[in-house]
Amino acid sequence: MTKTQLASISDHNFEQCLKCSICTVYCPVAAVNPAYPGPKQAGPDGERYRLKDPKFYDEALKMCLNCKRCEVACPSDVRIADLIQQARMKHHSHRPKLRDMMLASTDLVGSLATVVAPVTNFSLGLKPVKAVMDTVMAIDKHRTFPAYASQKFETWFRKNAEKRQNEFAHHVSYFHGCYVNYNFPQLGQDLVTVMNALGYGVHLLEKEKCCGVALIANGMYNQARKQGETNMASMRKSINQQSRPVITTSSTCTFTMRDEYPELLGVNNDGVRNHLSLATRFIFNLVDEGKVKLAFRHDFKMRVAYHTACHMQRMGWAIFSTELLRMIPGLELIELDQNCCGISGTYGFKKENYETSQAIGAKLFSDIDAAKPDFVSTDCETCKWQIEMSTGVKVLNPISILAQALDIEKTRQLNGVN
Amino acid sequence: MKFDTIIMGGGLSGLTCGIALAKKGRRVAIVAGGQNTLHFYSGSMELLGSVDDQDVTHPIEAIAALNENHPYSKIGAQHIASLAQQAQALLADAGIKTTGDASCNHYRITPMGVTKPAWLTLDGLATTSHPDALPWKKVCLVNLEGFIDYPIDFVAHGLRNLGAQVETPTVSLECLKQARRSATEMRATNLAKVFTNTSNVARLADAINTACNDTEAVLIPAVLGYDNDDACNLLKAQVKAPLYFLATLPPAVTGVRINAALKHYFQMLGGRFLMGDSVENVVIDGDKVTHINTTKLQAMSLQAEQYVLATGSFMSRGLVADFERIYEPLMNLDTDAPQDREQWSKYGMMGDQPYMSCGVVTDKDFHPLKDGSPLANVYAIGQVLGGHNPITMGDGTGVSMLTALAVANAINS
Repeated sequence: MTKTQLASISDHNFEQCLKCSICTVYCPVAAVNPAYPGPKQAGPDGERYRLKDPKFYDEALKMCLNCKRCEVACPSDVRIADLIQQARMKHHSHRPKLRDMMLASTDLVGSLATVVAPVTNFSLGLKPVKAVMDTVMAIDKHRTFPAYASQKFETWFRKNAEKRQNEFAHHVSYFHGCYVNYNFPQLGQDLVTVMNALGYGVHLLEKEKCCGVALIANGMYNQARKQGETNMASMRKSINQQSRPVITTSSTCTFTMRDEYPELLGVNNDGVRNHLSLATRFIFNLVDEGKVKLAFRHDFKMRVAYHTACHMQRMGWAIFSTELLRMIPGLELIELDQNCCGISGTYGFKKENYETSQAIGAKLFSDIDAAKPDFVSTDCETCKWQIEMSTGVKVLNPISILAQALDIEKTRQLNGVN
Repeated sequence: MKFDTIIMGGGLSGLTCGIALAKKGRRVAIVAGGQNTLHFYSGSMELLGSVDDQDVTHPIEAIAALNENHPYSKIGAQHIASLAQQAQALLADAGIKTTGDASCNHYRITPMGVTKPAWLTLDGLATTSHPDALPWKKVCLVNLEGFIDYPIDFVAHGLRNLGAQVETPTVSLECLKQARRSATEMRATNLAKVFTNTSNVARLADAINTACNDTEAVLIPAVLGYDNDDACNLLKAQVKAPLYFLATLPPAVTGVRINAALKHYFQMLGGRFLMGDSVENVVIDGDKVTHINTTKLQAMSLQAEQYVLATGSFMSRGLVADFERIYEPLMNLDTDAPQDREQWSKYGMMGDQPYMSCGVVTDKDFHPLKDGSPLANVYAIGQVLGGHNPITMGDGTGVSMLTALAVANAINS
């Protein structure tokens, strides 16, 4: 290509937009909320005006879920959602409300809540408390807060698992994320079980902070950047000094740290990005390269409907999770059609978004009802809350299914673990 | 990751080929870098619409007279009829009901109100068997308030030229007023989402029944049926006069529905669809591709026995034109594009532009040539192929589906 053509490539591939409008077909928000102008108008079309004068910034942009389904659909590789997010970062002037700050501060709130977990869970479930949260905080009363665990994953890990991790031949660091740490340590425990059976010791990062996805969604960019820098420093140490790649069990955390850090926050993740992976991808690669072997239980039977979370879809990694699940004899897999569940992290918790959120998810919920699975599987924790609340079907991360389906003893033997 | 066949491109040709292969139990992966040009489809498929500016009535006969570089000639004119039937059956298996016959074209009505020859048309759309006449003398052409992608004056003018008496009432509904809060979003596909709600369909039917009295047919832009044709059938059942849909400007509901149905069917047959991923690197050793890499799967390479190139034409980036050359970006395959840039185009933008028929060169079995020699385990299908012009010849969908099936049949045997 000539220099002129190379030099004219703009941020987020803005100039590649052909105005084909395909993105508008796949926006889950515009489909249910006519007040949202849709990805083409909010993204590249609006950007032309905003570049001329910031007064063209439209507050309706805050309705964007940042699900990235427009980007997945775009045949011209325009990063439409990034354009929208960046416009919000640049032009949105309101300070986040107390409610948004609380929803976004997963680390702080999680730490406080786990200390008094039974009280927190009990009171968050009480009708009067829900009513107060609904009216005072504008957190929708239909929502059930994910229960807080009485013991953080990190605490469990230090007490029960850390000591024996050095005995393994190979090692990884585990970015567990807020959800595993405060709400659902079981998933972290399942990960340790599986990785140990494969001959991999699991370690915590020197310092782990929330990936920041909720901070970005709620306009707390500086805080997100700070936490991003901390995570990248810890991961660099793990990768470079300890030769431990980093694995995760949350598609959104992974996506945020791999793609949103450099694209939106300007947090440099060079040297980390290629060594930061979702556990299902990491394990699939090991199996594919013949480096580990899996032995499965003979009595395992499960009908599973797999839901591709939006950010999983954007990463293009659903194939790793579904191929891994397909390796399990006795597991019957149904791939659900591509639809957003509507929760989008903290978005669906907000009272003003509740109706939109449920309307977006309606198609997915009816597909799940029709599939009649024993379990739904997905790599995203917030999809899990939404699907469980809206369909009553229990949702498992693929790693938890793997932990149940593996013949742990036999797998350990196959991989030379004593 | 290993497959029997990897298809690069998830549009009409890639999906058709993938379905035909997966049906025979082959392990197939499709890599699709974004959505495809099915989104611009009117709801009609064309086999061959025009030769030398003359409408084609009997495509199978006309195909026998095409020159040797046309993809149909490579398939062999004697195979066209059976492949055309296979294509129609494949669509039906995926849940897409069509009417039409490869031996004799019918006519579709374009969103600009003119008639064009067509091979297959989705059930429910208005068609006519003659280019200069309609089946009705008196029609009610309904428009929806605020709908931006329907130049109704053109359509009405076109229908009047065909001898019909045309009324053009505009229907206004509360749900459409709501949708108009974002006036720029009043497109066919967004309206189709409004009409996934059955009570909105009932209100639309009421409004049409009030607006259209004493008419032989109601014609309405195709803004219903986003996921399936339930809403279309519901409306037809509730409108008193016979009701037909007319193609709209893109993004077209009809095309979106075909795309979703084919993709769903492919996955149901066990096919793996890598959506939003693109092929970054194709590794060739001698006359064979050994593996490919994609943007998303990075170091994890994909391997297969055969590779099918179904990346489309310029718009889909299957072909790229820069200031110096026209090229095929994945394997730098041989193309039939003129060296001299001045010869890519000629005077008269709307005319038969040479670049439109540029594409990769293949042998008679659709193995593309690289530096003059065919790649043995690679096939090229659909709009990336040279030797035909979908705009002037009206052969786009036919070439996509039939080359896909010819190659799938060759691989399956």
